[in-house]
Amino acid sequence: MQNRISIPIGPQHPLLKEPLSMMIDISGEKVLGGSMRLGYVHRGIERLAEQRNYIQNVLLIERVCGICSHVHTTTYCYAVEALLGIEIPPRAQYIRALMCELERIHSHLLWLGILAKHVGLETIFMHAWHDRESSLDIMEAISGGRVSHAANQIGGVSFNLDKAQAEMIRSTISNLRTQVEGLLNVIETEPALHARTQGVAPVSAEMIRQYCVVGPIARASGVDIDLRRDDPLPPYDQLEFKVITHADGDAWARTLVRAQETRESLNLCDTIMRDMPDGEVLVRAPRKVPPGEAIIRSEAPRGEVFYYLRSDGSENPARVKIRTPTLSALSMIPAQLAAIQVADIPVVLAGIDLCVACADR
Amino acid sequence: MERLKKRFSLLSAIIDALIEPPETVGYPFTKLELPETYRGAIVIDPEKCTGCGLCVRDCPAQGLELVKKSRHEFKLIHYPARCAYCGQCSISCRRKAISHSNQLVGSTSNPEALVVVLKEKEDEEQG
Ligand code: SF4
Ligand code: SF4
Repeated sequence: MQNRISIPIGPQHPLLKEPLSMMIDISGEKVLGGSMRLGYVHRGIERLAEQRNYIQNVLLIERVCGICSHVHTTTYCYAVEALLGIEIPPRAQYIRALMCELERIHSHLLWLGILAKHVGLETIFMHAWHDRESSLDIMEAISGGRVSHAANQIGGVSFNLDKAQAEMIRSTISNLRTQVEGLLNVIETEPALHARTQGVAPVSAEMIRQYCVVGPIARASGVDIDLRRDDPLPPYDQLEFKVITHADGDAWARTLVRAQETRESLNLCDTIMRDMPDGEVLVRAPRKVPPGEAIIRSEAPRGEVFYYLRSDGSENPARVKIRTPTLSALSMIPAQLAAIQVADIPVVLAGIDLCVACADR
Repeated sequence: MERLKKRFSLLSAIIDALIEPPETVGYPFTKLELPETYRGAIVIDPEKCTGCGLCVRDCPAQGLELVKKSRHEFKLIHYPARCAYCGQCSISCRRKAISHSNQLVGSTSNPEALVVVLKEKEDEEQG
Protein backbone atom coordinates (compact mmCIF):
# COMPACT_ATOMS: atom_id res chain seq x y z
CA MET A 1 0.00 0.00 0.00
CA GLN A 2 1.06 3.55 -0.69
CA ASN A 3 2.44 5.67 2.16
CA ARG A 4 2.40 2.85 4.63
CA ILE A 5 4.36 3.90 7.70
CA SER A 6 5.14 1.83 10.76
CA ILE A 7 5.42 3.73 14.02
CA PRO A 8 6.94 2.10 17.09
CA ILE A 9 5.27 2.78 20.43
CA GLY A 10 7.02 1.53 23.56
CA PRO A 11 8.45 -0.23 25.45
CA GLN A 12 9.15 3.24 26.84
CA HIS A 13 6.80 5.84 25.50
CA PRO A 14 4.93 8.81 26.99
CA LEU A 15 1.68 7.42 25.66
CA LEU A 16 2.04 4.03 27.27
CA LYS A 17 3.10 3.73 30.88
CA GLU A 18 3.27 -0.03 30.56
CA PRO A 19 6.37 -1.75 29.18
CA LEU A 20 4.82 -3.00 25.98
CA SER A 21 6.26 -2.61 22.51
CA MET A 22 3.79 -1.93 19.71
CA MET A 23 4.42 -1.50 16.02
CA ILE A 24 1.48 0.32 14.48
CA ASP A 25 1.02 0.55 10.71
CA ILE A 26 -0.62 3.71 9.50
CA SER A 27 -1.50 5.27 6.21
CA GLY A 28 -2.26 8.97 6.55
CA GLU A 29 -4.58 9.28 9.53
CA LYS A 30 -5.85 5.72 9.26
CA VAL A 31 -4.49 2.88 11.32
CA LEU A 32 -4.11 -0.28 9.27
CA GLY A 33 -3.17 -2.65 12.05
CA GLY A 34 -0.52 -3.40 14.58
CA SER A 35 1.60 -6.01 16.24
CA MET A 36 3.20 -6.20 19.65
CA ARG A 37 6.00 -7.65 21.67
CA LEU A 38 5.64 -8.70 25.27
CA GLY A 39 7.94 -9.93 27.99
CA TYR A 40 9.77 -6.81 29.12
CA VAL A 41 8.76 -7.34 32.73
CA HIS A 42 8.92 -11.11 32.83
CA ARG A 43 10.32 -11.99 36.24
CA GLY A 44 9.79 -15.73 36.23
CA ILE A 45 7.52 -15.60 39.25
CA GLU A 46 5.96 -19.00 38.56
CA ARG A 47 9.39 -20.62 38.57
CA LEU A 48 10.55 -18.63 41.59
CA ALA A 49 7.47 -19.81 43.46
CA GLU A 50 8.60 -23.42 43.09
CA GLN A 51 11.81 -22.58 44.94
CA ARG A 52 10.18 -20.95 47.95
CA ASN A 53 7.93 -22.26 50.67
CA TYR A 54 4.19 -21.61 50.74
CA ILE A 55 4.52 -18.78 53.24
CA GLN A 56 7.24 -16.94 51.33
CA ASN A 57 5.18 -17.33 48.17
CA VAL A 58 2.35 -15.21 49.56
CA LEU A 59 4.72 -12.27 49.54
CA LEU A 60 6.27 -13.19 46.20
CA ILE A 61 2.87 -13.48 44.53
CA GLU A 62 1.93 -10.07 45.88
CA ARG A 63 4.57 -8.74 43.46
CA VAL A 64 2.81 -10.12 40.37
CA CYS A 65 0.87 -6.90 40.11
CA GLY A 66 1.37 -3.48 41.64
CA ILE A 67 -2.27 -2.48 41.41
CA CYS A 68 -4.25 -5.60 42.22
CA SER A 69 -1.69 -7.23 44.50
CA HIS A 70 -4.23 -8.24 47.13
CA VAL A 71 -6.52 -10.23 44.86
CA HIS A 72 -3.56 -12.32 43.71
CA THR A 73 -2.57 -13.30 47.22
CA THR A 74 -6.22 -13.88 48.13
CA THR A 75 -6.65 -16.33 45.28
CA TYR A 76 -3.34 -18.03 46.06
CA CYS A 77 -4.19 -18.34 49.77
CA TYR A 78 -7.62 -19.80 49.04
CA ALA A 79 -5.91 -22.34 46.78
CA VAL A 80 -3.41 -23.35 49.48
CA GLU A 81 -6.20 -23.48 52.06
CA ALA A 82 -8.22 -25.72 49.72
CA LEU A 83 -5.26 -28.12 49.53
CA LEU A 84 -4.82 -28.02 53.29
CA GLY A 85 -8.55 -28.52 53.80
CA ILE A 86 -8.85 -25.65 56.25
CA GLU A 87 -11.48 -22.97 56.39
CA ILE A 88 -10.52 -19.49 57.47
CA PRO A 89 -12.57 -17.61 60.08
CA PRO A 90 -15.55 -15.64 58.67
CA ARG A 91 -14.10 -12.32 59.84
CA ALA A 92 -10.94 -12.99 57.83
CA GLN A 93 -13.08 -13.71 54.75
CA TYR A 94 -14.80 -10.36 55.16
CA ILE A 95 -11.52 -8.50 55.62
CA ARG A 96 -10.15 -10.14 52.48
CA ALA A 97 -13.25 -9.07 50.55
CA LEU A 98 -13.05 -5.53 51.95
CA MET A 99 -9.48 -5.22 50.73
CA CYS A 100 -10.49 -6.63 47.32
CA GLU A 101 -13.21 -4.01 46.95
CA LEU A 102 -10.96 -1.15 48.09
CA GLU A 103 -8.46 -2.37 45.53
CA ARG A 104 -11.12 -2.37 42.82
CA ILE A 105 -12.06 1.22 43.69
CA HIS A 106 -8.43 2.30 43.56
CA SER A 107 -7.75 0.42 40.34
CA HIS A 108 -10.82 1.80 38.54
CA LEU A 109 -10.14 5.37 39.66
CA LEU A 110 -6.53 5.05 38.57
CA TRP A 111 -7.69 3.84 35.19
CA LEU A 112 -10.26 6.62 34.91
CA GLY A 113 -7.50 9.15 35.53
CA ILE A 114 -5.32 7.62 32.83
CA LEU A 115 -8.14 7.62 30.28
CA ALA A 116 -9.05 11.22 31.13
CA LYS A 117 -5.43 12.27 30.71
CA HIS A 118 -5.21 10.57 27.33
CA VAL A 119 -8.28 12.38 26.05
CA GLY A 120 -6.99 15.68 27.43
CA LEU A 121 -9.20 16.10 30.49
CA GLU A 122 -6.56 16.88 33.08
CA THR A 123 -9.09 18.01 35.69
CA ILE A 124 -10.80 14.63 35.77
CA PHE A 125 -7.38 13.00 35.95
CA MET A 126 -6.40 15.08 38.98
CA HIS A 127 -9.71 14.49 40.75
CA ALA A 128 -9.80 10.76 40.06
CA TRP A 129 -6.29 10.34 41.44
CA HIS A 130 -7.06 12.54 44.40
CA ASP A 131 -10.09 10.42 45.26
CA ARG A 132 -8.13 7.24 44.77
CA GLU A 133 -5.81 8.31 47.59
CA SER A 134 -8.66 7.80 50.07
CA SER A 135 -8.92 4.11 49.31
CA LEU A 136 -5.12 3.77 49.45
CA ASP A 137 -5.13 5.56 52.79
CA ILE A 138 -7.61 3.08 54.22
CA MET A 139 -5.57 0.14 52.99
CA GLU A 140 -2.38 1.63 54.40
CA ALA A 141 -3.94 2.39 57.75
CA ILE A 142 -5.35 -1.10 58.25
CA SER A 143 -2.65 -3.27 56.68
CA GLY A 144 0.49 -1.17 57.07
CA GLY A 145 1.40 -1.06 53.38
CA ARG A 146 0.21 1.24 50.65
CA VAL A 147 0.91 -0.89 47.60
CA SER A 148 2.10 -4.21 48.96
CA HIS A 149 -0.39 -4.72 51.73
CA ALA A 150 0.82 -8.13 52.94
CA ALA A 151 -2.69 -8.56 54.30
CA ASN A 152 -3.07 -12.25 53.56
CA GLN A 153 -1.67 -15.16 55.47
CA ILE A 154 -2.31 -18.80 54.83
CA GLY A 155 -5.12 -19.37 57.28
CA GLY A 156 -6.53 -15.86 57.37
CA VAL A 157 -5.32 -12.29 57.42
CA SER A 158 -2.46 -10.71 59.30
CA PHE A 159 -4.37 -7.92 61.05
CA ASN A 160 -7.67 -7.38 62.79
CA LEU A 161 -9.81 -4.25 62.74
CA ASP A 162 -10.57 -2.43 65.95
CA LYS A 163 -13.51 -0.10 66.58
CA ALA A 164 -11.62 3.09 65.75
CA GLN A 165 -10.38 1.64 62.45
CA ALA A 166 -13.88 0.46 61.52
CA GLU A 167 -15.20 3.94 62.21
CA MET A 168 -12.41 5.50 60.14
CA ILE A 169 -13.22 3.16 57.23
CA ARG A 170 -16.92 4.03 57.37
CA SER A 171 -16.37 7.76 57.41
CA THR A 172 -13.67 7.68 54.68
CA ILE A 173 -15.92 5.55 52.48
CA SER A 174 -18.77 7.98 52.99
CA ASN A 175 -16.58 10.96 52.00
CA LEU A 176 -15.22 9.02 49.06
CA ARG A 177 -18.75 8.30 47.92
CA THR A 178 -19.54 12.03 47.74
CA GLN A 179 -16.38 12.64 45.72
CA VAL A 180 -16.98 9.69 43.39
CA GLU A 181 -20.60 10.71 42.80
CA GLY A 182 -19.39 14.16 41.75
CA LEU A 183 -16.92 12.59 39.41
CA LEU A 184 -19.52 10.23 37.94
CA ASN A 185 -21.85 13.16 37.31
CA VAL A 186 -19.17 14.86 35.27
CA ILE A 187 -18.23 11.73 33.37
CA GLU A 188 -21.80 10.94 32.45
CA THR A 189 -22.45 14.42 31.09
CA GLU A 190 -19.10 15.70 29.80
CA PRO A 191 -19.47 16.15 26.01
CA ALA A 192 -15.70 16.14 25.39
CA LEU A 193 -15.39 12.69 26.94
CA HIS A 194 -18.38 11.45 24.92
CA ALA A 195 -16.96 12.78 21.70
CA ARG A 196 -13.59 11.11 22.25
CA THR A 197 -14.88 7.72 23.36
CA GLN A 198 -18.31 7.08 21.88
CA GLY A 199 -18.19 4.64 18.99
CA VAL A 200 -14.41 4.20 19.27
CA ALA A 201 -13.17 0.66 18.62
CA PRO A 202 -16.39 -1.19 19.40
CA VAL A 203 -16.01 -4.86 20.30
CA SER A 204 -18.83 -7.31 19.79
CA ALA A 205 -19.83 -9.97 22.30
CA GLU A 206 -18.76 -12.59 19.75
CA MET A 207 -15.28 -11.14 19.54
CA ILE A 208 -15.09 -11.13 23.35
CA ARG A 209 -15.86 -14.85 23.41
CA GLN A 210 -13.46 -15.54 20.57
CA TYR A 211 -10.54 -13.91 22.39
CA CYS A 212 -11.68 -15.15 25.84
CA VAL A 213 -11.68 -11.60 27.17
CA VAL A 214 -12.95 -11.18 30.74
CA GLY A 215 -13.77 -8.50 33.25
CA PRO A 216 -15.09 -4.98 32.65
CA ILE A 217 -14.21 -5.11 28.92
CA ALA A 218 -16.42 -8.19 28.48
CA ARG A 219 -19.20 -6.66 30.56
CA ALA A 220 -19.04 -3.47 28.49
CA SER A 221 -19.80 -5.60 25.43
CA GLY A 222 -22.85 -7.16 27.03
CA VAL A 223 -21.20 -10.41 28.19
CA ASP A 224 -22.63 -10.83 31.65
CA ILE A 225 -19.78 -12.49 33.56
CA ASP A 226 -18.55 -11.73 37.03
CA LEU A 227 -16.93 -14.40 39.16
CA ARG A 228 -18.04 -12.70 42.35
CA ARG A 229 -21.52 -13.84 41.39
CA ASP A 230 -20.84 -16.81 39.07
CA ASP A 231 -18.27 -18.70 41.15
CA PRO A 232 -18.09 -16.80 44.40
CA LEU A 233 -15.35 -17.15 46.95
CA PRO A 234 -16.63 -16.52 50.46
CA PRO A 235 -18.13 -14.13 51.55
CA TYR A 236 -19.36 -12.93 48.13
CA ASP A 237 -22.03 -15.64 48.17
CA GLN A 238 -23.63 -13.75 51.06
CA LEU A 239 -23.30 -10.25 49.64
CA GLU A 240 -25.82 -8.49 47.42
CA PHE A 241 -24.47 -6.46 44.54
CA LYS A 242 -25.27 -5.54 40.96
CA VAL A 243 -23.19 -6.70 38.03
CA ILE A 244 -22.85 -3.74 35.69
CA THR A 245 -23.13 -4.47 31.98
CA HIS A 246 -23.46 -2.35 28.89
CA ALA A 247 -24.39 -3.27 25.34
CA ASP A 248 -22.30 -0.97 23.14
CA GLY A 249 -18.79 -2.38 23.62
CA ASP A 250 -17.02 0.85 22.72
CA ALA A 251 -14.59 2.90 24.79
CA TRP A 252 -17.50 4.87 26.22
CA ALA A 253 -19.25 1.72 27.44
CA ARG A 254 -16.02 0.62 29.14
CA THR A 255 -15.77 3.96 30.87
CA LEU A 256 -19.32 3.74 32.14
CA VAL A 257 -19.01 0.14 33.30
CA ARG A 258 -15.87 0.86 35.32
CA ALA A 259 -17.24 4.11 36.72
CA GLN A 260 -20.46 2.44 37.86
CA GLU A 261 -18.55 -0.54 39.24
CA THR A 262 -16.67 1.90 41.46
CA ARG A 263 -19.99 3.02 42.90
CA GLU A 264 -21.08 -0.59 43.34
CA SER A 265 -17.82 -1.41 45.14
CA LEU A 266 -18.39 1.47 47.53
CA ASN A 267 -21.80 -0.01 48.34
CA LEU A 268 -20.18 -3.41 48.81
CA CYS A 269 -17.65 -1.91 51.24
CA ASP A 270 -20.56 -0.56 53.28
CA THR A 271 -22.30 -3.94 53.26
CA ILE A 272 -19.10 -5.70 54.26
CA MET A 273 -18.51 -3.29 57.14
CA ARG A 274 -22.10 -3.72 58.28
CA ASP A 275 -22.17 -7.52 58.11
CA MET A 276 -18.64 -8.25 59.27
CA PRO A 277 -18.80 -10.85 62.06
CA ASP A 278 -16.59 -10.67 65.14
CA GLY A 279 -13.98 -13.20 66.06
CA GLU A 280 -10.58 -14.51 65.13
CA VAL A 281 -8.85 -13.64 61.87
CA LEU A 282 -6.14 -16.28 61.66
CA VAL A 283 -6.05 -20.03 62.16
CA ARG A 284 -2.83 -22.00 62.35
CA ALA A 285 -1.98 -23.69 59.09
CA PRO A 286 0.48 -26.57 58.74
CA ARG A 287 3.68 -25.79 56.84
CA LYS A 288 3.56 -28.97 54.77
CA VAL A 289 0.78 -29.19 52.25
CA PRO A 290 -0.64 -32.64 51.36
CA PRO A 291 -0.19 -33.76 47.74
CA GLY A 292 -2.92 -32.67 45.39
CA GLU A 293 -4.12 -30.02 42.97
CA ALA A 294 -6.27 -26.96 43.44
CA ILE A 295 -7.79 -24.45 41.06
CA ILE A 296 -9.23 -21.19 42.37
CA ARG A 297 -10.56 -18.28 40.34
CA SER A 298 -11.52 -14.85 41.51
CA GLU A 299 -12.62 -11.54 40.06
CA ALA A 300 -9.80 -9.00 40.00
CA PRO A 301 -10.43 -5.38 38.95
CA ARG A 302 -9.51 -6.39 35.39
CA GLY A 303 -11.34 -9.70 35.31
CA GLU A 304 -10.76 -13.32 36.11
CA VAL A 305 -7.57 -14.31 37.92
CA PHE A 306 -6.85 -18.01 37.79
CA TYR A 307 -4.51 -19.98 40.04
CA TYR A 308 -3.52 -23.59 39.60
CA LEU A 309 -1.51 -25.13 42.40
CA ARG A 310 0.07 -28.56 42.59
CA SER A 311 1.60 -29.90 45.74
CA ASP A 312 3.92 -32.88 46.11
CA GLY A 313 3.63 -32.97 49.88
CA SER A 314 6.67 -30.85 50.64
CA GLU A 315 7.03 -27.30 51.96
CA ASN A 316 7.39 -25.85 48.46
CA PRO A 317 4.70 -26.02 45.76
CA ALA A 318 5.49 -28.25 42.77
CA ARG A 319 3.77 -25.90 40.33
CA VAL A 320 2.04 -22.54 40.50
CA LYS A 321 0.28 -21.46 37.33
CA ILE A 322 -1.12 -17.96 37.16
CA ARG A 323 -3.43 -16.67 34.46
CA THR A 324 -4.19 -12.99 34.51
CA PRO A 325 -6.98 -11.11 32.72
CA THR A 326 -4.72 -8.74 30.78
CA LEU A 327 -3.26 -11.50 28.64
CA SER A 328 -6.46 -12.12 26.70
CA ALA A 329 -7.20 -8.40 26.48
CA LEU A 330 -3.76 -7.85 24.94
CA SER A 331 -4.42 -10.39 22.22
CA MET A 332 -7.40 -8.33 21.13
CA ILE A 333 -5.45 -5.09 20.61
CA PRO A 334 -4.37 -5.68 16.97
CA ALA A 335 -7.96 -6.42 16.00
CA GLN A 336 -9.16 -3.29 17.80
CA LEU A 337 -6.56 -1.11 16.16
CA ALA A 338 -7.65 -1.97 12.64
CA ALA A 339 -9.61 0.86 11.00
CA ILE A 340 -9.40 3.53 13.67
CA GLN A 341 -7.89 7.02 13.46
CA VAL A 342 -4.37 7.70 14.71
CA ALA A 343 -5.78 10.13 17.30
CA ASP A 344 -7.82 7.29 18.81
CA ILE A 345 -4.85 5.03 19.53
CA PRO A 346 -4.44 6.37 23.09
CA VAL A 347 -8.13 5.88 23.79
CA VAL A 348 -8.00 2.26 22.62
CA LEU A 349 -4.82 1.47 24.56
CA ALA A 350 -5.96 3.26 27.70
CA GLY A 351 -9.50 1.87 27.41
CA ILE A 352 -8.27 -1.66 27.87
CA ASP A 353 -6.73 -0.96 31.29
CA LEU A 354 -3.57 -2.90 30.59
CA CYS A 355 -1.44 -4.40 33.28
CA VAL A 356 1.55 -5.79 31.46
CA ALA A 357 3.34 -6.76 34.68
CA CYS A 358 0.44 -9.13 35.40
CA ALA A 359 0.53 -10.59 31.91
CA ASP A 360 4.29 -11.09 31.88
CA ARG A 361 4.64 -12.26 35.50
CA MET B 1 -31.16 21.93 33.56
CA GLU B 2 -30.44 18.66 35.37
CA ARG B 3 -27.74 17.95 32.82
CA LEU B 4 -26.20 21.36 33.28
CA LYS B 5 -26.22 20.93 37.04
CA LYS B 6 -24.50 17.58 36.72
CA ARG B 7 -21.88 19.00 34.39
CA PHE B 8 -20.90 21.72 36.78
CA SER B 9 -20.96 19.55 39.88
CA LEU B 10 -17.16 19.47 39.93
CA LEU B 11 -17.11 23.25 40.08
CA SER B 12 -17.60 23.34 43.85
CA ALA B 13 -14.75 20.86 44.26
CA ILE B 14 -12.53 23.01 42.09
CA ILE B 15 -13.35 26.14 44.12
CA ASP B 16 -12.64 24.20 47.33
CA ALA B 17 -9.30 23.15 45.88
CA LEU B 18 -8.38 26.79 45.38
CA ILE B 19 -8.96 27.59 49.05
CA GLU B 20 -7.72 24.42 50.70
CA PRO B 21 -4.03 23.91 51.48
CA PRO B 22 -2.21 21.39 49.27
CA GLU B 23 -2.73 17.70 49.97
CA THR B 24 0.94 16.91 49.54
CA VAL B 25 3.48 17.08 52.36
CA GLY B 26 6.75 18.92 51.94
CA TYR B 27 8.78 15.98 53.18
CA PRO B 28 11.53 16.03 54.58
CA PHE B 29 10.92 19.63 55.77
CA THR B 30 7.47 18.80 57.12
CA LYS B 31 6.92 15.83 59.37
CA LEU B 32 5.35 12.89 57.63
CA GLU B 33 2.46 11.42 59.60
CA LEU B 34 2.51 7.67 59.21
CA PRO B 35 -0.27 5.45 60.56
CA GLU B 36 0.44 3.49 63.75
CA THR B 37 0.26 0.25 61.82
CA TYR B 38 2.75 1.32 59.15
CA ARG B 39 5.36 -1.34 58.44
CA GLY B 40 8.60 0.62 58.79
CA ALA B 41 12.03 -0.07 60.27
CA ILE B 42 12.55 -3.44 61.95
CA VAL B 43 12.97 -3.37 65.73
CA ILE B 44 13.75 -6.18 68.12
CA ASP B 45 13.25 -6.87 71.78
CA PRO B 46 16.58 -8.53 72.60
CA GLU B 47 15.21 -9.92 75.87
CA LYS B 48 12.71 -12.07 74.04
CA CYS B 49 14.76 -13.29 71.07
CA THR B 50 16.21 -16.76 71.53
CA GLY B 51 17.82 -17.14 68.13
CA CYS B 52 15.42 -19.85 67.00
CA GLY B 53 15.62 -18.69 63.38
CA LEU B 54 11.92 -18.97 62.51
CA CYS B 55 11.92 -15.40 61.20
CA VAL B 56 14.92 -16.14 58.98
CA ARG B 57 13.28 -19.24 57.52
CA ASP B 58 10.13 -17.45 56.38
CA CYS B 59 11.69 -14.18 55.23
CA PRO B 60 11.03 -14.03 51.47
CA ALA B 61 13.76 -11.50 50.72
CA GLN B 62 16.76 -12.83 52.66
CA GLY B 63 16.56 -9.72 54.77
CA LEU B 64 17.61 -11.55 57.93
CA GLU B 65 20.59 -13.72 58.68
CA LEU B 66 21.31 -15.87 61.71
CA VAL B 67 24.96 -16.59 62.31
CA LYS B 68 25.45 -19.40 64.79
CA LYS B 69 28.87 -19.64 66.31
CA SER B 70 28.10 -22.32 68.84
CA ARG B 71 25.04 -23.69 70.60
CA HIS B 72 24.52 -20.59 72.68
CA GLU B 73 26.24 -17.94 70.59
CA PHE B 74 24.39 -16.35 67.73
CA LYS B 75 24.07 -13.12 65.84
CA LEU B 76 20.83 -11.98 64.18
CA ILE B 77 21.57 -9.52 61.38
CA HIS B 78 19.08 -7.41 59.44
CA TYR B 79 19.77 -6.09 55.93
CA PRO B 80 17.38 -3.15 55.43
CA ALA B 81 18.32 -2.74 51.77
CA ARG B 82 17.09 -6.28 51.01
CA CYS B 83 14.07 -6.18 53.30
CA ALA B 84 10.66 -5.94 51.66
CA TYR B 85 9.01 -4.65 54.86
CA CYS B 86 6.42 -7.37 54.50
CA GLY B 87 5.90 -8.18 58.17
CA GLN B 88 6.38 -11.92 57.77
CA CYS B 89 9.17 -12.08 60.38
CA SER B 90 6.96 -10.54 63.04
CA ILE B 91 4.20 -13.04 62.26
CA SER B 92 6.55 -16.03 62.18
CA CYS B 93 8.25 -15.16 65.47
CA ARG B 94 6.49 -17.12 68.20
CA ARG B 95 7.95 -14.94 70.97
CA LYS B 96 6.86 -11.65 69.43
CA ALA B 97 10.46 -10.44 69.63
CA ILE B 98 10.73 -8.87 66.20
CA SER B 99 8.35 -6.23 64.85
CA HIS B 100 8.00 -3.10 62.74
CA SER B 101 8.14 0.44 64.00
CA ASN B 102 6.29 3.12 62.05
CA GLN B 103 9.51 4.92 61.17
CA LEU B 104 10.86 5.25 57.65
CA VAL B 105 14.28 3.83 56.84
CA GLY B 106 16.57 6.42 55.28
CA SER B 107 17.73 5.88 51.74
CA THR B 108 21.41 5.49 51.03
CA SER B 109 23.83 4.82 48.22
CA ASN B 110 25.73 2.50 50.50
CA PRO B 111 23.43 -0.37 51.56
CA GLU B 112 26.14 -1.87 53.77
CA ALA B 113 25.95 1.17 56.05
CA LEU B 114 22.36 0.32 56.99
CA VAL B 115 23.03 -3.24 58.16
CA VAL B 116 22.15 -3.70 61.81
CA VAL B 117 22.98 -6.49 64.22
CA LEU B 118 19.63 -6.96 65.93
CA LYS B 119 20.97 -9.22 68.62
CA GLU B 120 24.36 -10.65 69.43
CA LYS B 121 24.61 -13.27 72.12
CA GLU B 122 27.95 -14.39 73.45
CA ASP B 123 28.32 -17.55 75.46
CA GLU B 124 28.00 -16.46 79.09
CA GLU B 125 30.08 -19.31 80.47
CA GLN B 126 33.07 -18.25 78.43
CA GLY B 127 32.49 -14.77 79.65
S1 SF4 C 1 13.29 -12.74 66.32
FE1 SF4 C 1 11.87 -14.34 66.99
S2 SF4 C 1 11.85 -15.82 65.30
FE2 SF4 C 1 13.63 -14.51 65.00
S3 SF4 C 1 15.30 -15.62 65.97
FE3 SF4 C 1 14.50 -14.20 67.52
S4 SF4 C 1 12.96 -15.39 68.64
FE4 SF4 C 1 13.39 -16.52 66.75
S1 SF4 D 1 9.93 -7.57 56.91
FE1 SF4 D 1 9.82 -9.30 55.47
S2 SF4 D 1 11.60 -9.01 54.12
FE2 SF4 D 1 11.95 -7.73 55.95
S3 SF4 D 1 13.15 -9.02 57.33
FE3 SF4 D 1 10.99 -9.31 57.89
S4 SF4 D 1 10.34 -11.10 56.69
FE4 SF4 D 1 12.27 -10.37 55.79
